Amino acid sequence: MPSSAPSFRDPAGCCHVFNHRVLRFVAAAALAEFEDFLQTASANKFIAERKLVATRRLAENETAELRAVSELKPVFAALDVGAVFEHGRISFASHPHEWSPEMLREAGRLTLDLARAALADGFGLKDATPHNILFRGHEPVFVDLLSFERRHPGDAIWKPYAQFVRTFLLPLLANRRWGLSLAEIFTTRRDGLQPEEIYRWCGPLEKFRPRTLSLVSIPTWLSRKADPDEQKIYQSQLLADPEKAQFILESLFNRLERQLRALAPAVRKNSTWSGYMTTHSYDDPAFAAKEKFVAEALAEFKPARVLDAGANTGHFSALAAQAGAAVVAADLDAACVGQIWRRAREKNLDILPLAVDLARPSPALGWRNREQPSFLERATGAFDGVLMLALIHHLLVTERIALEEILRLAAELTNQLLVIEFVEPNDAMFRRLTRGRDHLHVGLNAAVFERACTAHFEIVRSRALPGTQRRMYCLKRKAGQ
Amino acid sequence: MILAYVDPGLGALVWQTVISAFVGLLFYLKKTRRWIVNFFRKIFGSRPIEPKTPPPVVESVEIKPDAR
Repeated sequence: MPSSAPSFRDPAGCCHVFNHRVLRFVAAAALAEFEDFLQTASANKFIAERKLVATRRLAENETAELRAVSELKPVFAALDVGAVFEHGRISFASHPHEWSPEMLREAGRLTLDLARAALADGFGLKDATPHNILFRGHEPVFVDLLSFERRHPGDAIWKPYAQFVRTFLLPLLANRRWGLSLAEIFTTRRDGLQPEEIYRWCGPLEKFRPRTLSLVSIPTWLSRKADPDEQKIYQSQLLADPEKAQFILESLFNRLERQLRALAPAVRKNSTWSGYMTTHSYDDPAFAAKEKFVAEALAEFKPARVLDAGANTGHFSALAAQAGAAVVAADLDAACVGQIWRRAREKNLDILPLAVDLARPSPALGWRNREQPSFLERATGAFDGVLMLALIHHLLVTERIALEEILRLAAELTNQLLVIEFVEPNDAMFRRLTRGRDHLHVGLNAAVFERACTAHFEIVRSRALPGTQRRMYCLKRKAGQ
Repeated sequence: MILAYVDPGLGALVWQTVISAFVGLLFYLKKTRRWIVNFFRKIFGSRPIEPKTPPPVVESVEIKPDAR
């Protein structure tokens, strides 16, 4: 695997993924401070709680071996490397544009918890962005350990405050007030929403609502009044009394936490698909048969990593997680994703829910499109099992994707198992989607579907769901595909 | 070492400074209240309220006088 650079903005070091290893190259000038942080009580506590990523310093001989690797030579040439550290790998990297608002809020809470805890050890965060965080299942993990720096005990200003507001609070506010999705915000803006941008969207009354006033309107008015060329404002003004500085910062963190709590995403009861489990077209025996079929396939193949594509409320993601798999549950409906996340957290299931539309998966983003690889780049070959349940008709009809293409994608995603539900064109839901365009799917039937499957898969077994026009298939990817 | 590289904003930074100054006043109110409580506790022989331990002082950084 070639080296990729998910992090490079910080002059204190950079992070590269090389041969499935996550390596952090720390500049010689920042090394002592970095190691001091790793010794602090707060770092040890959060690493033990798995909220900070596990980290070990590579021995001299290991670093020397890396220096000899041609792909890493540019890294050593660009940075005066003091030491290399290896982080524990998070099985599936996800990004804020794929999260639900609940997940962004949880990531914000972790950021504040860490900032508050590090304060007691004389350290602070130099940045406060969701890009510092990945999710291990439903739990956020802070991965950018170079974000911690020693802070002056008399400094009462938290420099990343504005970034915390831009990347956590304002996206949550925009999602709550205007229904803007995190995908819309973060695919087009690395550093979140500017107060000035939101100010333009606000009506006269909105500008004076308490939350908008403090997060959007007052900063906008102040930035208009302030002289943009005045550099003095950016210089730290240090207090003589460290206790006072600590009091001010703690009060700031408490205030931000209250704001984060107040911006909890509204639980939408009527999103397009979140009520699917109670309104779907199966009767109880059909649903029980479907559940039994999936459970049997999971028990037989025992996939360690499962992608539930079109997860809806995550019923089958939970089934896979209970069978011992680490599950990525992808659905295009952010309300469904939020629902899955809450359920996974309540039941402590290893499920990472992501707002991803399989027909328009998240693109590669950032500098040279290399900071955040596309969803398919991360997902290709990353799973031992893929579930495509009640999904195929949405791809065939709504997205107009050819059957062969759907199966080709499935074969790229899974290394072994595919459990797929075939829906006949005369199924009620299929017909609801076609809206009179039935002629486009004339000739599609189980035999045609099975023939298309054999291009990439062996059919292990299939079973019709009683009383429906649907059939379940357990497929095994052919070797060498 | 301060290697902050994040855009601190402009309006948000000014607003944070204004709020910090206000919270700083609350700190003195809290300190005064603690002093009064401790004064009476001393009279009645109770243990005084201890202030929170401030974070460790970094020796390499010089503390400048209060700018506010």
